[in-house]
Amino acid sequence: MRPLLRAPGMSALLVCAALLAVWEIAARLYGNPGLPTAFAALCELPRIFADPQAAFDILDSLRRMVIGFALALVVAAPIGLLMGRSPVAEALMNPLLMVVYPIPKAALMPLIMLWLGVGDASKILVVFLGVSLPLLYHSYQGARAVEEKMLWSAAAMGMNGAQRMFRIVLPAALPEILTGCRTGIVMGLITMITSEMISRQTGAGNILFNAMDMAQYETVYAMIIVIGALGILLDVCFEAVRARLTKWADKDADTTVAAL
Amino acid sequence: MISIKQVSQVFAVGKGERHVALSDVSLDLGDGEFISILGPSGCGKSTLLYIVGGFVRQSSGTVEIDGRPVAGPGPDRGPVFQEFALYPWKTVLGNVSYGLRQQGVARPAAEARARELLSMVGLSGYEDFYAKQLSGGMKQRVAIARTLAYDPAVLLMDEPFGALDAHTRNRLQNDLLRIWERDRKSVLFVTHSVEEAVYLSDRVVVLTKSPGRIKEIIEIDLPRPRIRSELLLNPKYQQYVIDIEAMIDTQPEPEAAS
Repeated sequence: MRPLLRAPGMSALLVCAALLAVWEIAARLYGNPGLPTAFAALCELPRIFADPQAAFDILDSLRRMVIGFALALVVAAPIGLLMGRSPVAEALMNPLLMVVYPIPKAALMPLIMLWLGVGDASKILVVFLGVSLPLLYHSYQGARAVEEKMLWSAAAMGMNGAQRMFRIVLPAALPEILTGCRTGIVMGLITMITSEMISRQTGAGNILFNAMDMAQYETVYAMIIVIGALGILLDVCFEAVRARLTKWADKDADTTVAAL
Repeated sequence: MISIKQVSQVFAVGKGERHVALSDVSLDLGDGEFISILGPSGCGKSTLLYIVGGFVRQSSGTVEIDGRPVAGPGPDRGPVFQEFALYPWKTVLGNVSYGLRQQGVARPAAEARARELLSMVGLSGYEDFYAKQLSGGMKQRVAIARTLAYDPAVLLMDEPFGALDAHTRNRLQNDLLRIWERDRKSVLFVTHSVEEAVYLSDRVVVLTKSPGRIKEIIEIDLPRPRIRSELLLNPKYQQYVIDIEAMIDTQPEPEAAS
């Protein structure tokens, strides 16, 4: 049993199977149309994937999420790094961050729709806001933790402030920035679906909530599975990229050479 | 030549309180001279080094290099820190060649020079390693090679062997002397080990504890090249160590929470 559990992905697979089993049993015992069986929900999956409109909706969601995420990366990460290294930027931005952090970004959606309409722009903006905060925060923490002596060594080599920012602070904070990205992906998924719940035109959230309105509960549950699977897939892909980029930082990944 | 003139450093600590780290320190470091700065912890000896490096701005006084006042860090003064401060995302070779690359030297030339220096510090074969894969002694060897690579006129060494075990420390001291005998750079070396200061230096500067003032400057009149096994038997060496230890012992114990 133990070696089997250690196989890659095996424990995750077992947990998923157990969850589905519990769901199946609960649905059979409860017998409520609001809780279809796991089997019925899974049977919906091929139908969703075969429907070109549904595939288009899901891809459309992903497109908005990617744009919002990319914008956040370009805007929030540099601001966070700057905050970590400049006391002025820190003093200006920190209070703003404290106020904005606890506000649910989806709660701003109705307001944003007033300004930008119900189309892509509003939804991308909401995703951008959701992803920005963890990214900003982690970039800030990462830049703040950069060892002073590392920057001094670079200054002695002749690097000016901007060069130190790009060549020292950015790589040194990269592991922390990528941690922020990972949280950002989850936040991006959440805000993506919520934005489509509030303003329904296309998207995975659109399918989900339309099905809800029409009492097609199998589809609702199937879409929840799809979104969950999407989250896992994005996370696994991102982890692979992260591991490659920060191979140098992972502890215990390689043995240390004996004392010399 | 480096000339430190009446340098003082005052930090603000808490509300309205001021801590005088350095008070009126004047010192000349000649070309090719090896000076150690010795003192109890909290005497501001590292601060003095950071001021010479241009990393920290002094409250008053001046530091001049060949008559020009220090305005900031520069490649004429190469620091080596106790914390190594290697760039962990770069390989050993990348770390050592970084300074030259920064100064516009083409990659092949910079890497050739880096390999030379790595062989000098005994790290040939480790070019593609990352810092996390190295022991403390190896990291400090890389850091020394990284600083030597851009050929600073002065080495500023801030307790460079303080984090190493006794055996490694001895080996690095020997290697540092061997390298220094070759190109005779000026060295300003901060340490809290009396033996280390006497073994390495031409002159030892003893600072008092807060405020850090120069208590005494001792000329170390011992033959070079210095060989540890011979020095340990040399009564003159022993006397230097005893005298300087007595000088430091007469100072009050540092506060527990300093």
